[in-house]
Amino acid sequence: MRRKAMRMVADLRGRLTFKLTLLYGTLFVLVTILSLAATRAAIERYAEETIRRDMQTGSAVFDRITTMQLRQLNRAAMVLAGDFGFREAAATGDGATIASALASLRDRFQLDRALFVGLDGSVAGDVAGLSDTDIAELTGALDAGREEGVIRNREGHMMAAAAPVRAPMPIGWVVFANDLGASDLRALARLTSVDLHPRLVDADGPSGSAGVRQFETTRDGKRILVQERPIPTLMAQGRERLRLEYSLTQALGGYAPILTALLTLGVMGALMAIIGAYLASCRLTRPIVALESAARKVSAGEYAKVSVETRDEIGRLAQSFNRMVDAVEQREAKIAHMAFHDALTGLPNRTLLREQIAFGLQRADERVLTLFCIDIDNFKAINETLGHHAGDAILCRIGERLADVCPTGFIARLAGDQFAIKLRGAGASDQTGRAIVSAIGQPFDLDGQRILLSASVGIALSPQDGADAATLLKNSELALNRAKDEGKGNVRFFEAAMDAEAQARRALETDLHDALRRGELELHFQPLFSLKQNRVTAFEALLRWRHPERGMVSPVQFIPLAEESGLIVPIGEWVVHEACRVAAQWPEHIRIAVNISPVQFRSPNLASVVLQALARSGLAPGRLELEVTESLFIDDVEGTLSSLHGLRALGVRVALDDFGTGYSSLSYLRSFPFDKLKIDRSFIVDLLEHQGATAIIRAITTLADALGIETTAEGVENSDQLDILEAQGCGQIQGYFFSRPIPAQDVAALLDRIDGQASIAA
Amino acid sequence: MTLLRLMIAALSCVPACAQAGDLDIKVVDGVGRPVPEAVVSVRPAGGIPPGPIQFPWAATMTQQNISFSPHVLIVPVGAKVQFPNRDKVRHHVYSFSKPAKFEIKLFGKDETRSQVFAKPGTVALGCNIHDQMSGFIKVVDTPYAAKSNAAGQARIARLPTGTAQVTVWHPLMKGKDNQIVITVPMPASGVVTKVVPVALRAM
Repeated sequence: MRRKAMRMVADLRGRLTFKLTLLYGTLFVLVTILSLAATRAAIERYAEETIRRDMQTGSAVFDRITTMQLRQLNRAAMVLAGDFGFREAAATGDGATIASALASLRDRFQLDRALFVGLDGSVAGDVAGLSDTDIAELTGALDAGREEGVIRNREGHMMAAAAPVRAPMPIGWVVFANDLGASDLRALARLTSVDLHPRLVDADGPSGSAGVRQFETTRDGKRILVQERPIPTLMAQGRERLRLEYSLTQALGGYAPILTALLTLGVMGALMAIIGAYLASCRLTRPIVALESAARKVSAGEYAKVSVETRDEIGRLAQSFNRMVDAVEQREAKIAHMAFHDALTGLPNRTLLREQIAFGLQRADERVLTLFCIDIDNFKAINETLGHHAGDAILCRIGERLADVCPTGFIARLAGDQFAIKLRGAGASDQTGRAIVSAIGQPFDLDGQRILLSASVGIALSPQDGADAATLLKNSELALNRAKDEGKGNVRFFEAAMDAEAQARRALETDLHDALRRGELELHFQPLFSLKQNRVTAFEALLRWRHPERGMVSPVQFIPLAEESGLIVPIGEWVVHEACRVAAQWPEHIRIAVNISPVQFRSPNLASVVLQALARSGLAPGRLELEVTESLFIDDVEGTLSSLHGLRALGVRVALDDFGTGYSSLSYLRSFPFDKLKIDRSFIVDLLEHQGATAIIRAITTLADALGIETTAEGVENSDQLDILEAQGCGQIQGYFFSRPIPAQDVAALLDRIDGQASIAA
Repeated sequence: MTLLRLMIAALSCVPACAQAGDLDIKVVDGVGRPVPEAVVSVRPAGGIPPGPIQFPWAATMTQQNISFSPHVLIVPVGAKVQFPNRDKVRHHVYSFSKPAKFEIKLFGKDETRSQVFAKPGTVALGCNIHDQMSGFIKVVDTPYAAKSNAAGQARIARLPTGTAQVTVWHPLMKGKDNQIVITVPMPASGVVTKVVPVALRAM
């Protein structure tokens, strides 16, 4: 419960409404408190000033009344003192007359006391309550010239005034006095505007001599303003002071209703200010809250807009926000399109295709579908000869043609020149495949240029060829590869065996990777027999792979793998070194021939590899013969020629392998002076079946002779072939008829045997 | 009668002339200022000689300019003092003093009244009409009396040898009967000078 409340408070604090309300509320409360305090202080100051003024006034009035009373007393005394009869009585000491005269005048003026004090200290009249000391003091004071003031005796205070009696020299004084008890003072106090509680105090001590003294004191928790002023006394020693008191607390109490009213107003005002600030800030923050909520939705991926109609900054912010939401939406759509489409053709890409397939496989009516995987044959040549712009344009045209062929299909561009089409159902897929091949096979017209292309198509069907998108795609690609392997412009369906084969290839490739390191590769050597010299003049080094589990692996199997994966470069390097090492132990007249694959030939460090192998083995460069194929001249004639000249400069011989099967142009024979032509075995096999074959052999040998090039016939398997070749002027022969390829350790024995036979035969 | 008085005076003078000194009294106040109008009267060692007392000034108290003139008048016992009025207004002279309690009511210009002072003492005079008027008649029973002059000095001549009792009176003097009494030993001849400080009441 408590935690919930705390969380609510924390939540409240985080809100702008709360902050604004707090700010304005606090400000107003502060202002109210300040104004209340100021008002209160002002009222108090005013009240105190008024009270002080009242007190001054009261005090002055009191003073004046006292003075008037004293003067009245004095006048009365003077009346008596001036009376001739009284003077006579006083001068003659006529006590009875004096007393009666005093009483008479006292009554006439309604006074409290009347007495006569003789110069000699004798007294007459109302002397009751006056001690001898009092009388002595009084006489002394009168004698010293004092005539009026307050007298204090045992019973209390009196206000007294005296008048001298002269006969004509002073003989005494008439003293008239009025009692000055508490009731008399109160009666006096009623004459002032405020009740000042007048009191006579005996202020003996050093402070008594001071003038008017005003101070504040606290009594019973009340603030009392006190004023003390000295009043004239008749006795010289007397220090009577009139004390006036006024309760500030009581006086200020009169202003309490005003303060209460102000406080009430202030509290009400503060409440109204807080409520007003809350309402105003609610109004202010409502659009902000809406914006915040919308922003939260947008960040969560929703499409959310706000409707704020105000024309202020927040309204403009809302407009900007809505524009931003639109822009984000557009960009998101664009990015999504880019993520799932090919930028060049605008076709869906592999990702979208895979999603589409997966999506279709989940639905009952699309569980059966056909996936075509299409690859344009030799498309690389288009890019290289006509440029990428042309290639891109043709790729777009291909996309259009595919759409024409399969209007209901889902067409995607997988990569480069590879496309795919997903079709519902499995009917007539073979026809469709051929229709695709046919459509691509139509000539393309690009800026007036006629371009002929062909396509290979692989087909995979669900569910039998794969229950998921990845498998289907992979299998259709396998089928495509098979189609391409079997010649361009083909259509092939996926077969389970393809998958197994592909897996086997992958396994082999993995093993081949390790073969060189493990020393599983070895070289076998097949002799080349010179018909003219009637002896073995060279061996061709042939690569063999002795697999620990598979046994001997055919070069036909692993050489293409090595070429595809690029492993041929390190393997070829090893071959050159190994061949040179072995050949160096042979008789001087025997050369060693090493096949250089096109991939290896194009690697930039072939020349340095050859140089190192020669240097390390000590083999004479003239004994090393590098065999290259015609295919080198297809792609880059200039580069190939430059490399060949570079190799020739090392002093090694260069032979052209498989002559007559690949490239049909003979111009390169003129460009580079080959040392030898090796006539392809297909011509040798044909020798016994076709008459024309002999003619070709003769043409080749004649051409070679004319150019000063040696010739070697490969694949010679019987003596009939040998006879024909010898008859047609072929220089050397190679084949099973003489020897299969043999391990290095058998070379010496073979040489002994063949050369022995040959010499015998010769 | 006049002859007889002269004879008495001569007789009384003889011994005095034979052995007598002069007394010079100087009356000063508390701060040393001379005090005029003080009455110095002396009772010599041998007592007051018998015979009538004569002073060389007239026994007249004039009312002039609303005041008594002189302010202080010394007269012998039994003297008849004239009160001539030289003012244009009337006066009502009175005295409540014990030696001579009297009234001379409302007498006008150039009228003279008289009054006999039979007892020695101080008679304070006032006017019932004019309160500010004040005068004194000092009635003495000794021929050795004089009034201090402006310098505060009073000379009593030919005082007999021996201790003289000197009374100094002034109307404002503090103390009983406004006077002090001192004793001064008088030599056979010569002048004795005595300064008498007195305390005066402020008027």
